[in-house]
Amino acid sequence: MKKIIALLVICLFALSILAGCGAGTNTPAEKDESKEAPKEIKKEEYPKKGITVIVSYSAGGGTDTGARILLPHVEKELGVPLTVVNKPGGGGWVGWNELLNAEADGYTIGYINTPNLMTGYLNPAMKRDKTIDDFTLIGNHVLDYGAIAVKADDDRFQTIDDLIEYAKKNEVTTTSTGMGSDDHIAALKVNDSVGTKFVPVHGKGASHGKAGVLGGHIDVFFANVGEATVPHKNGEMRVLAIMAPERSKFLPDIPTLEEKGYGKIYSWSARGLAAPPGLPQDKLDKLIAAFEKAMDAPEHVKKMEDMGLLVKWMKGEEYKKFLKEDEASVIKVRDLLGW
Amino acid sequence: MVINPDLILTVLTKLFSFETLLALFAGTLGGMIIGSLPGLSATMGVALLIPVTFGMDPVAGLTMLSAIYTSAVYGGSISAILIHTPGTPASAATALDGYQMTLRGEGLKAMGITTISSMIGGFLSAVALLFLAPPLSLISLKFNAPEYFLIAIFGLTIIGSLTTGSIIKGLSAGVIGLIVGLIGTDIITGFPRYTFGLTPLESGIALVPAMIGLFSLSQVLIQVEELGKVDKEKVMAELKGRVLPTWKEFKSIFITIIRSSILGIFVGILPGAGGDIGSWVGYNEAKRFSKNPEKFGTGCIEGVAAPEAANNAVTGGALIPLLTLGIPGSSTTAVLLGGLIIQGLIPGRELFTTHAKITYTVIFGFMLANILMGICGLLAAKHIVKVTKIPSAVLGPIIVVLSVVGSYAINNNIFDVYVMVAFGIIGYFMRKTGFHPAPVVLALILGPMAENGLKQSFVLSKGNLLGYFLGRPICIVLIILIVLAIASPMILSKLEQKRKREVQAQA
Repeated sequence: MKKIIALLVICLFALSILAGCGAGTNTPAEKDESKEAPKEIKKEEYPKKGITVIVSYSAGGGTDTGARILLPHVEKELGVPLTVVNKPGGGGWVGWNELLNAEADGYTIGYINTPNLMTGYLNPAMKRDKTIDDFTLIGNHVLDYGAIAVKADDDRFQTIDDLIEYAKKNEVTTTSTGMGSDDHIAALKVNDSVGTKFVPVHGKGASHGKAGVLGGHIDVFFANVGEATVPHKNGEMRVLAIMAPERSKFLPDIPTLEEKGYGKIYSWSARGLAAPPGLPQDKLDKLIAAFEKAMDAPEHVKKMEDMGLLVKWMKGEEYKKFLKEDEASVIKVRDLLGW
Repeated sequence: MVINPDLILTVLTKLFSFETLLALFAGTLGGMIIGSLPGLSATMGVALLIPVTFGMDPVAGLTMLSAIYTSAVYGGSISAILIHTPGTPASAATALDGYQMTLRGEGLKAMGITTISSMIGGFLSAVALLFLAPPLSLISLKFNAPEYFLIAIFGLTIIGSLTTGSIIKGLSAGVIGLIVGLIGTDIITGFPRYTFGLTPLESGIALVPAMIGLFSLSQVLIQVEELGKVDKEKVMAELKGRVLPTWKEFKSIFITIIRSSILGIFVGILPGAGGDIGSWVGYNEAKRFSKNPEKFGTGCIEGVAAPEAANNAVTGGALIPLLTLGIPGSSTTAVLLGGLIIQGLIPGRELFTTHAKITYTVIFGFMLANILMGICGLLAAKHIVKVTKIPSAVLGPIIVVLSVVGSYAINNNIFDVYVMVAFGIIGYFMRKTGFHPAPVVLALILGPMAENGLKQSFVLSKGNLLGYFLGRPICIVLIILIVLAIASPMILSKLEQKRKREVQAQA
């Protein structure tokens, strides 16, 4: 009898430890061992040990999936394992706060998602004192422009002009992934520039919005190219326009709002990599070089394209300028957001 | 569905390949273990293993993930029954009657009933997935904000009947849950409510840590009180009897299982409603239809069978909108979506045309996983159930360790551990004062769903809320159901009194 109890106790403990390890470190437990050899050789240089990559959203989501596709190629460049740690919550700010507070030794980096990051601190109710300037920027990974789509059999709108004409006279509901999300801001920008009456219905994510449009409950799908391409190709929805400076290679037949004469209305959701404030320049250079090379890996580009996501590498001043533009575009619609 | 012999042959060859069967077996066993550990939910299990499936063959990888999904939901009930610690949110309802059975020394029977109900529920949902995927996915789209609001309200009508004792106490516990559900960022205005400047609270109180605290930690605290006393007979009760229920018992729960399976499949199809809601709906409807509703909560077999069949039926149901529309029907399938995309499989028509071989193999694999899960469960039940023979002085610390690990692991966040401890203490005092934690958990799940649904309806209705609701047929049906749910106990008791009076008059 006692033996059985002891055995069970041991089993349960072993399981709990296993589970704990599994949850914290995901796969790289095994990778650690296999990468032992190269680590020994470059003893004096950075990186000497594995790097933690904070993803501020749950496992299995878009950011997480993109990270897991890219990181194996960065591992090849750096010779050490890069471990994804998911820190969801607080609209991404649980993870971003952790990244900002981590030691700037180059062993903790993370994904930053914009404009969600900006709306997080530009919303005065949130009372945050950290901004995009606090991060050490590495480079941009994905740039997903905004798209406007309707249900495939919605006869009211054949072209973007139909939609905009109609929306000038009538209230039209649009999907939004949340207050201050890129989709919300996009609808506000269109309202502001051409005088439409789009009313965003805030939901919990693109899939909720998609269900709302396909079911005929919400009129217009305001989303990103990466979310609209598949329903468009499946014939469930029709993308009417995209909100980008040029056409998307995934939807080459779809016009931009700009070429249709509605002005420079751009919207995007971007995600890139950043490190805590004060990362030494030599370490930063190493990281930038490794990510730059990994971006070009054919397997990475192919997989991201399959997901309908545009890989857009930007670094240094270019990336900084881009993020500042992102911030400025949120500040511009501040009044419309009621902040 | 067009039956294509070539397709079936390919599907069978793919399914019975060594790699797929191995993945199936590993997924089933792994899922059961993950599910039985408190805090490690099916969602987490799938999320943990998606990176592993990167390098695998799509069929083997996806079969493994779907096997994990269904068997983790089943595994969650094992700990719910034996140690009153729901392994996943979907098994919180099972703890009500399951644990009572264990206390009576009928843990083995409870395990058997759970296994059979889960197996049938899961299997039926796989059949539904196979045949009904395209037509049913269209119904799910008819549901939107107003319907979700009403479904949540309908769910909340259960609260009054959840507790066996005072209705007032049950309702107040529900209100506590609703208040806790208010914490977090307001979805429409983006305003942080009751967050006290704490970033982790902006996304609300995480359900799993709160649930672990309310059910598990509070249970340990209660048991600690009794440590010194000799009152161990209850837990040490002989585990006699057989795993399989008698034919008579099986017949008595058969209707319940079928009803719960259908409800579960339906709840699964709805986007956003997962096993946690499905199991409560199954439990409540079983109670409503039962001839002896007062037995629920005291350890009756229907009370175990109903939520179990329902929560496993949710799994197949939730896969229907995922595969056909790319709309996840539960939080686990939201993660599974990532697993599909990584394999280059984009949900939609193509899955049933271009990738039909892969898709149908995975569906058949899912079916097989449910059977395998049942066999493993029945064989292992005798051994697993011995856990109840462990004295609480040993079991208590283990549960505490598992609770802490589980709460942390869900979001890799130490804050969730504090939440778990706080709710453990709240749960302890609630139990001491005769409140049950179940209504708190239910309200915590349904409250935010009702709030979002109502607020979105305000925007969608463009000002005319009542007209908007009454213009939607499904809404009208739901409103009638809600009215019936609230009024029926009163009408029934009136009828009962009248009958009694007539009987007396005759006498």
